[in-house]
Amino acid sequence: MTLDSKLETTIDKILTQTTTELLTTLEKTFDECKESLSKSSRSLEQEYDRILDEGKKESEKLEKQIIGSSELEARNKQLLLTAESVDKVFEKAIEKIQNIKKNENYPKLISTLIDESTKALGTQEIIVLTNSKDKDVVKSVISKFPKAELSSETITCIGGVEVRSKDGTMTFNNTIDSRLERLKPLIRKDIATKFGIGE
Amino acid sequence: MSKHGGVQYSKIAEIKGPLVIVDDVENAAFDELVEIQTKDGEKRLGKVLEVGNGKAIVQVFEGTTGLSVSGTKAKFVGKVMEMPVSEEVLGRVFDGLGRPKDGLPDPIADKFLDINGEPMNPEQREYPRDFIQTGVSVIDGMLTLVRGQKLPIFSGSGMSHNILAAQIARQAAVVGTSDEFAVVFAAIGVQYSEAEYFRRSLEESGALKRSVLFLNLADDPAIERIITPRVALTVAEYLAYDLGMHVLVILTDMTNYAEALREISAAREEVPGRKGYPGYLYTDLSTIYERAGRLRGKKGSVTQMPILSMPSDDITHPIPDLTGYITEGQIVLGRDLFRQGVYPPVNILMSLSRIMKDGIGEGRTRADHQEISNQNYDAYSRAQEVRALAGIVGKAGLTGVDLKYLGFGDEFEKNFLSQAIDENRTIEETLSLLWKAVSLLPKNELTKVKDKYIEQHYKER
Repeated sequence: MTLDSKLETTIDKILTQTTTELLTTLEKTFDECKESLSKSSRSLEQEYDRILDEGKKESEKLEKQIIGSSELEARNKQLLLTAESVDKVFEKAIEKIQNIKKNENYPKLISTLIDESTKALGTQEIIVLTNSKDKDVVKSVISKFPKAELSSETITCIGGVEVRSKDGTMTFNNTIDSRLERLKPLIRKDIATKFGIGE
Repeated sequence: MSKHGGVQYSKIAEIKGPLVIVDDVENAAFDELVEIQTKDGEKRLGKVLEVGNGKAIVQVFEGTTGLSVSGTKAKFVGKVMEMPVSEEVLGRVFDGLGRPKDGLPDPIADKFLDINGEPMNPEQREYPRDFIQTGVSVIDGMLTLVRGQKLPIFSGSGMSHNILAAQIARQAAVVGTSDEFAVVFAAIGVQYSEAEYFRRSLEESGALKRSVLFLNLADDPAIERIITPRVALTVAEYLAYDLGMHVLVILTDMTNYAEALREISAAREEVPGRKGYPGYLYTDLSTIYERAGRLRGKKGSVTQMPILSMPSDDITHPIPDLTGYITEGQIVLGRDLFRQGVYPPVNILMSLSRIMKDGIGEGRTRADHQEISNQNYDAYSRAQEVRALAGIVGKAGLTGVDLKYLGFGDEFEKNFLSQAIDENRTIEETLSLLWKAVSLLPKNELTKVKDKYIEQHYKER
């Protein structure tokens, strides 16, 4: 074998070896690229899902927020209107009571109110106060309570009496106004029900 | 609510701190509501603390500033303090005494309930069961809140307990059932900015419509704080037992409540107990905490989450100490975690939900819940030991497994414990995070979980 042919064989060998190496490297790189691509597509999908998930959560949150606040707003408006209407009913009722001609039962009522007050105060030694209109009615029934006195002082009220112990330490307000005020929270629901609320 | 009026007395013997002593009183009853009228006609509320020898000691909720012995009148109303309740209270904001604070009228009452509540018949009590999802991983995953449970949060001053409280109030829900859920939030002695944060936070998240807020501010009279948790619990009981809702009551901060109790006790010249708190602090706290529970034959439940800041982070302080005797576990916030910027800074090794086991597992959360939670407890405890060891011998002195535990500790705090304040995680997400954390450890280190769960959920990292 000549020197040239030997050289040729060596070159051929090197060429073949290089080609094989190159092909292997190419193949490996191709595989790596494929793997990396599949990995990125996986992480891309995950990222995509995550963004979708977050978006969904955010939109649900916003939906809740919008629905919640508008429901509340509507409910609050209804509350205000109901309260306004209930107050109007009370005003009308008071007006009506004021205009009612106090009939023969009224002295009986005053007598009951005084009796109730003496029991609450725990003493018969009392001073009775009333408005200027009802003074005569109170005068007519006060004789039933021997230790009671009618005050010269008058109070502002629709009707009824305010009773004080003679030593001035105790007072019992039994006016129609104060009784209405005490009953107001209890009757509010009944009135609201008439409007079809809270049935 | 009584139809009858009360007798007004004008003989005031003494005004001492938050107390008014009325003379020559007949027929006053313990706990009776009293209307105090000032010289100028202003009305304040109070209640009878003591009666005897013709005297009545009245505790004035709105304070006694501006009151004088002459001219002040006390009207004994003839009933105990009551809270008007109806479904309308949902979505409303009240002050510490239960009066509207949102510019809306008084709710139209369905009932008037005694704020001291009806004592629960022990025989009628049902054991707390079923899960409440708070959306906060560390609570749902490792310190699960159960319907009817009382689980306090022990915090320290300046820590993020109020942020956590608001997050729980926004996110809490019962899962897997169509039962209605409501949150009653009572802020006791909080700053204006905090109260505003609570209100805005619930309003903006749309959670206000299923919540009731009671706000007693730091500059409101301290005595009002005695009433705030009671009116809140009265509303909660109505929602739970009359309307069949599952109600979560968050009371923050119970330390302010105990301070108010101490103030009254000092004014009454009672013999002080530990740190000046009255000897009956335990009994008094139990009248609040014991109002949590479920009743046989009733659909709803009252779950309590009282929050208290421990003075000087001292867990042996009488307030956390006595609270711990009554409640069913505790969630402790750690100062170290807080300093590291971890939110929520829950120190799980000091925390415990005693009845967690009854609220989790198959049919409630997931079959592997208890075991994966135990495994994380175990691993985190080991991680803390390894951290201490690394502080002495350095990382170089640690074994391969130790290093894995070190990594687990960091992962646990960074990805499981830490959570954004508006992040609402489902129980599934929480459990996956627990599995993800332990997947940093070699399989053979997982000794608390069954093999079948390891096969299902473990993904070596």
